[in-house]
Amino acid sequence: MRDAAPALPFAVAGKRGNAETLVAIDDAAERRGLHIGMALAQARAMYPALDVVQEDADADAQLLEGIADWCLRYTPLVVCDAPDGLLLDITGCTHLYNGEHELVADLAGRIERAGFAYRIAIASTIGAAWAAAHCGEPASYACGEERSLLAPLPLSALRLAPATVAALARLGLKRIGDIIDLPRSPLTARFGAGLLRQLDRALGHEHEPLSPRLPVAPYVAEQRFAEPIAREEDVLGTVERLAVRLVFALERRGDGARRIELTLFRTDGEVRRIAAGTSRPLRDAHDIRALFVERLTALADALDPGFGFDMARLSVVLAEPCPPEQIGIGGAEDGVEIDRLADRLSARLGAQRVRHLIAQDSHIPEIAAATVPAQMAADDGWAAFRRHRTAAELAPRPLRLLMRPEPIEAVAEVPDGPPLRFRWRRALHEVIAADGPERIEGAWWSEHGGHPSGNLARDYFRVEDKSGLRFWLFRAGLYRDLVPGAVAPSWFVHGTYA
Amino acid sequence: MLAELRQRLQAMEKPAGIEDGPGAVPLGIAAVDNVLGGGLARGALHEIAAPGEAHLAAATGFVLGLAAGGRSRIVWIAEDMARTESGAPYGPGLDQFNLAPERLLTVAVARARDLLWAMEEALRCRAVGAVIGELRHGEIDAVAVRRLSLAAAEHGALALLLRAKPVNDASTAATRWIVGAAPSSPARAFEFGAPRFAAHLTRNRRGPTGSWILEWSDTDERFVLATHSVPVAAPPLHRPHRKVA
Repeated sequence: MRDAAPALPFAVAGKRGNAETLVAIDDAAERRGLHIGMALAQARAMYPALDVVQEDADADAQLLEGIADWCLRYTPLVVCDAPDGLLLDITGCTHLYNGEHELVADLAGRIERAGFAYRIAIASTIGAAWAAAHCGEPASYACGEERSLLAPLPLSALRLAPATVAALARLGLKRIGDIIDLPRSPLTARFGAGLLRQLDRALGHEHEPLSPRLPVAPYVAEQRFAEPIAREEDVLGTVERLAVRLVFALERRGDGARRIELTLFRTDGEVRRIAAGTSRPLRDAHDIRALFVERLTALADALDPGFGFDMARLSVVLAEPCPPEQIGIGGAEDGVEIDRLADRLSARLGAQRVRHLIAQDSHIPEIAAATVPAQMAADDGWAAFRRHRTAAELAPRPLRLLMRPEPIEAVAEVPDGPPLRFRWRRALHEVIAADGPERIEGAWWSEHGGHPSGNLARDYFRVEDKSGLRFWLFRAGLYRDLVPGAVAPSWFVHGTYA
Repeated sequence: MLAELRQRLQAMEKPAGIEDGPGAVPLGIAAVDNVLGGGLARGALHEIAAPGEAHLAAATGFVLGLAAGGRSRIVWIAEDMARTESGAPYGPGLDQFNLAPERLLTVAVARARDLLWAMEEALRCRAVGAVIGELRHGEIDAVAVRRLSLAAAEHGALALLLRAKPVNDASTAATRWIVGAAPSSPARAFEFGAPRFAAHLTRNRRGPTGSWILEWSDTDERFVLATHSVPVAAPPLHRPHRKVA
């Protein structure tokens, strides 16, 4: 990645423990006898001209994530093996490249063109592949012959703790072949179960789980292009073609898509992921395309095709059973139309911006009514609220509720009565009619109870001023609870009526 | 040749903002409906402004009273600014104007451009009966009005633009209202009467303008003309002699 003059050794230094040590070196440095783990001061003493840059662990991790994203073109199962490795489960993916050798050749070619040094190994266990990639011959293939592959490799290839490797070395056990046939129980007694577990995993006697970075989509369709595509219409056309294939698969299993992700692989290795959600299980290629039209419009210039995309993948990240529907019944059809509208709006504006109103089981006004994203299926609870309102004879509620109650200066005739006049947002309002109080107790059982004014009881009043404006006011705190010397209850406006 | 083309163009062009097909939403008040030519035209854009920020809740109530008739869904699109300044529609209070909260879909947008786009999308949806757009600042030009009117005409939805202050732009909306609160007239002093609205129709593409004091009647679930309006009597119609087109 860095065109250092061949004569000048180059190294990356970082803090390990309390010392600045070399964490990565180039070939020139290696030829001069530097090695990873050497103290920086020592290296500098040997070669004052050593070119050193400081390690940036975050950037390294980010780069590895980026490469991992890019590797999604080979398989959906990609795992980052920090600090510098990637594990790819290519089971069932090799036929796309006509075999393992061709896949590795493709991968190696692309990585090399991107300017990275690499070691690739394929094996039937994670342990064996890791060992071969780190300690064995690069680009080795060891499927079914893990034993002979592992035997000559050093024990550190089993991903053991350095202390264990050192302890084994003191006993003269240096290579994996040295311990393969040893009796198991003394080894376990001396070094714990970890050693043999690592060995068993590498040999394939024990299964090693692989947890991919991204959830594996249940439905995937992808397309590679001989010539990179860049125009938005082409991308959308591809989306529709892929969607047709997805819909076919979805129909066979009776599923519908709730969340769809489009992954675009740029020729220079950048990967774009664009997701769109739906309100109800979706199984229509045209609708899927319509969602991505909105998503791409919302992104507009952010799509940035560069020199074009050479591969596109459409995956259903979340699928739900979608029973076959009878169409043509008025009421149900309206629901479908509204959901489609909500999907389009959500795709363009963001799912958090398109919302339904729901009623919640609470007596505190700002909690009693809430909003949820329209794409989230939720029971709205209004039927229960209406029953409760009739039973409890709640006073009429305002049409608009302020985001948070706003403090006002109010003058009341009697301490517990409604205000005579009040000042809100610098305007003075003379009260000519008032209705109340409706006492709403604070949530005494919790620390703050969600009240902005702590946990006080509120007395709500509906008031009308001279010009006919109507407000929902409350006094936070009751005079009955007032202890001598405390601050007097304060007034707030919480909502406005028509 | 040119004249012929003009004629053909004229034949193709419908008058912007007014569609005859989808019908109208009658208010149920003869005086108002006559002026409007049968009621508030469906498939057209109507602008309702509050005379000032403080009267926005009253204007909101008026808009809901117009929009909430029927069983269809209502989409309320507001800029973020409107929600922080004047509050969000509160579910438990919407029933007052006949709007069950289940029927409402709220959309928050960051910019006026998104608001117009979202309104257009919502108007094109068959299941939506009315779309309320709360535009805080900025103007709406003839092109936007035309687009909204065409979208509204597709399924005969009502497009309503709610504003916190009257604006003086050359809007081509079908009607333009300034609606504020008016003092209620309770049966007894210090009691609450039904909410009253001072409604001024300041622009009407179909006929004369006018001013009325309206009252929301809970029992009839519609607006009625406030008859004993104290202290101001309903001002006379602006051009009562003119025949309705």
